[in-house]
Amino acid sequence: MTDLPEYVLERQFDAPREMVWRAWTDPRLLARWYGPNVETVIHEFDLRPGGVWLNEMKWDGGSSCSRADFTEIETGARLVWHHASTDRQWNVASNPMMPDWPRLLLTRVIFTEASGGTLVRLSQTPMEATEAEIACFAKMMAGMDKGWGSGFAILADILAEMQSNST
Amino acid sequence: MQNALASPDPALDAVFAALADPTRRAILARLADGQATVSELGAPFAMSQPAVSRHLKVLEQAGLIARKVDAQRRPARLKADRMAEAADWLDQFRKFWTGSFDQLDTVLAEMKSAAERNAQND
Repeated sequence: MTDLPEYVLERQFDAPREMVWRAWTDPRLLARWYGPNVETVIHEFDLRPGGVWLNEMKWDGGSSCSRADFTEIETGARLVWHHASTDRQWNVASNPMMPDWPRLLLTRVIFTEASGGTLVRLSQTPMEATEAEIACFAKMMAGMDKGWGSGFAILADILAEMQSNST
Repeated sequence: MQNALASPDPALDAVFAALADPTRRAILARLADGQATVSELGAPFAMSQPAVSRHLKVLEQAGLIARKVDAQRRPARLKADRMAEAADWLDQFRKFWTGSFDQLDTVLAEMKSAAERNAQND
């Protein structure tokens, strides 16, 4: 359990904790920020352990669905859910682009008062994952820091070079 | 990230698997300077030609390089499109939560100014 790869993102927000909590747990507010540059439609949002958040993201001519099954809710402090991509009937489905991407991600969000604002710590780890899924996730997570960074830096250099060659 | 996810492309997995190996990344970096043969590629790694060939085969199957079939020395060269797709996918994944958090910042700023307006009206 301890050696599972984990994605962690921490961010300090300049707002009181109860306001940040509200932005995460009021579906009207959540839909405004969740999913970069897409239209987010929340079909169901039942904030209690065993409740579900059914989410659709729309863009020109396409959409993508996911579900979050809440397992722990500690008001103002902690949200835990099982995150999965789904088909349009909200059945858990593997990712067509990355077949070995973990189907289930245990997602934890922790809210802490810090420096007059709120520190949000988001983490995701594979759940009930096959070895291939864990390996795929580990590979991608390494990309978040220096491990994959070198590979990514090479890609970026190569692409920049190709772009300058083509102009 | 979702736009990239829309078009099914299992082959991208092979790209990431190919890129996960430091020797293969070094080979790609070398090929960024221009095409090279197996013996030229093996030299900096003190690696046998069959070992280099195996790495090239993985890169070729992932679509990251191409090799001339007719030439006897079969020099390898980079193929750009695959790499652009892989970089794009990773980039979009990286941007999902950070992009969302940027938007959350904006929403919170609006909530704060609305709360301040209400406080003044009271």
